[in-house]
Amino acid sequence: MPVQGLRAVSTARNGVGAFILQCKRLDFHYCDWAGSSRGMNAFLKNTLPAFARANPQVEINVSPRPRKHPVIKGTYINGREKAVCVRNLEKEQILKKAELLRDASGEQLKRVTKPISSTNESVRGIWSPYHGDSHTL
Amino acid sequence: MNRLRLERWCGQVLSARPTRACHAHLSISRPCAARSLNVRYQSNSAATDASSSEAPSAPAATAAAAAATAAATAAPSLSSSQPSATSPAEPATSSSSSFSSPSPSSEPISSLPPSSAEQDIVYDYETLTQYPSPPPELARSSAKLAALHARLGLPERFPLETLARALVDPSADPAPRFNNGSLRTLGNNLLGYYAAEHLVCKYPRLPLTVLFQAVYAYIGPKALSQVRHEWGIELAAEPGGEVDPGLLQFARLTPGETPAEGTSGRPNEEMGWRRGMSSRVVYDNMYGEPKTEMEASERPELAPGVTVEDKRGETAEHAGANCVRAIFGGLYLHAGRPAAKKFFHDHFLSRQLDIAALFQFNQPTRDLSRLCAREGFEPLIARLLSETGRHSRHPVFVVGVYSGKDKLGEGIGGSLDEARIRAAISSLKGWYLYSPMDTRVPSDVEGQDGASVSWKPVYVDGGEVVV
Repeated sequence: MPVQGLRAVSTARNGVGAFILQCKRLDFHYCDWAGSSRGMNAFLKNTLPAFARANPQVEINVSPRPRKHPVIKGTYINGREKAVCVRNLEKEQILKKAELLRDASGEQLKRVTKPISSTNESVRGIWSPYHGDSHTL
Repeated sequence: MNRLRLERWCGQVLSARPTRACHAHLSISRPCAARSLNVRYQSNSAATDASSSEAPSAPAATAAAAAATAAATAAPSLSSSQPSATSPAEPATSSSSSFSSPSPSSEPISSLPPSSAEQDIVYDYETLTQYPSPPPELARSSAKLAALHARLGLPERFPLETLARALVDPSADPAPRFNNGSLRTLGNNLLGYYAAEHLVCKYPRLPLTVLFQAVYAYIGPKALSQVRHEWGIELAAEPGGEVDPGLLQFARLTPGETPAEGTSGRPNEEMGWRRGMSSRVVYDNMYGEPKTEMEASERPELAPGVTVEDKRGETAEHAGANCVRAIFGGLYLHAGRPAAKKFFHDHFLSRQLDIAALFQFNQPTRDLSRLCAREGFEPLIARLLSETGRHSRHPVFVVGVYSGKDKLGEGIGGSLDEARIRAAISSLKGWYLYSPMDTRVPSDVEGQDGASVSWKPVYVDGGEVVV
């Protein structure tokens, strides 16, 4: 057998072709009594239906969390979870937080130092001292 | 239980899909005569069940029936408010004809008893726990399922009932009308066809061993299982009727149990004969492996009437891969070939695979010289192009392989032999990975959607070198 095949598995490139939003689920927790949930309750009544309609790919759960501060929790495809406490926030601010959770990738926040990160190999190739014009001293 | 109640509440007020946000309550309207546990194996398919509930005869229909009709307008293939809408001449209906036509009682949909408030069956928790998988009617009230539908960008013609059915493994529900056994067979064959034709047309000189592994890398069980995870399909802890239809349902392997294995289909299997490459095309699966995965039709323990205790489990990888195949098969049935091909390009061919990394050569210099002899090239000469530090601890040699005046390949190595072998490998890869410009695959010009595209014959190679 002159040549054999090696086993490999292709890797996903989200956004090349199809884009899968990484936020799977958003859980909105509120309290009926506490004052810190006032903005959250207004958000749930007024803003959330439009937000859910605009983002059909996110499953949205609303549940009470009595005597606790209101929280938005996002669950992501990579299995991680992000929670944002929205106590005493207005509904516009809560919408910003919900959009932040929706747009997050679920990864831990990292400092990006390199301008470009790519899985493709360089088009130009690695510099070689043995090619090109020879340097004469 | 708490979670279920929560999602139901969310489903009615804050459903993710606007067209389905108008469920007044969770009572699912369906003819009560057609439902008992024993009827599962003879009852109509999910699409028939769904559409039968959408023919309100009286104008004073309940809010639930109106909601079901409003939801069905999103899926035109299922809307049967007019009896003529189910005629097979319509293209939208014909796409799902295989799904709804085989009614054992051969009873047309329009003659089913019209649903009304008195005939509704409200699934309570106790009833649901007796089903092996969730009833298809619950698909429209699942927020997870609607979110998955939107996340994958599936067309409106792809109903949520089919998506729910694609998530039920035969190990969870053996009833063939309620599991994904048939959809995944179709999806698997389509995926194999599209992947193979793409690879054969794009890389016409690919050796068969590498072609098998490239198909495996794109649509093998490992890749599809990863796709399942990347699509955000979660696994149900245990299958059952009360589980959310948006979760993948399968019976897990018990500790110590091995997956059911089918027969390879090879004659004289016990003799231990060599598996040649040509025989793999005939006998083995699309990755050149012996067929070990059992088809659902071959598994007697999944036959109707067998209790849950007798069923064999399934690994999460196989169940995940099969649900991806089933979704693809369902998309082909409901949305047609152009949508299925676009979906394949977007979700499977867009994945990254370095085909050059799939090659493993035994004797590349010998292969290359045989190849050149076959193609009538001049005999090969390896020339030293550049070197440094021959007597040092880290010598570097750059060797080029020449046929006459043409440089076929170049390699860098720490010894002359290593550099020569690397140069031969690079020449062979340059040959095998030849890719013609502007390739067209046969399925591009199939059917009516391909009538505007003219067929350009693809490059067919003489085959790999035989040593």
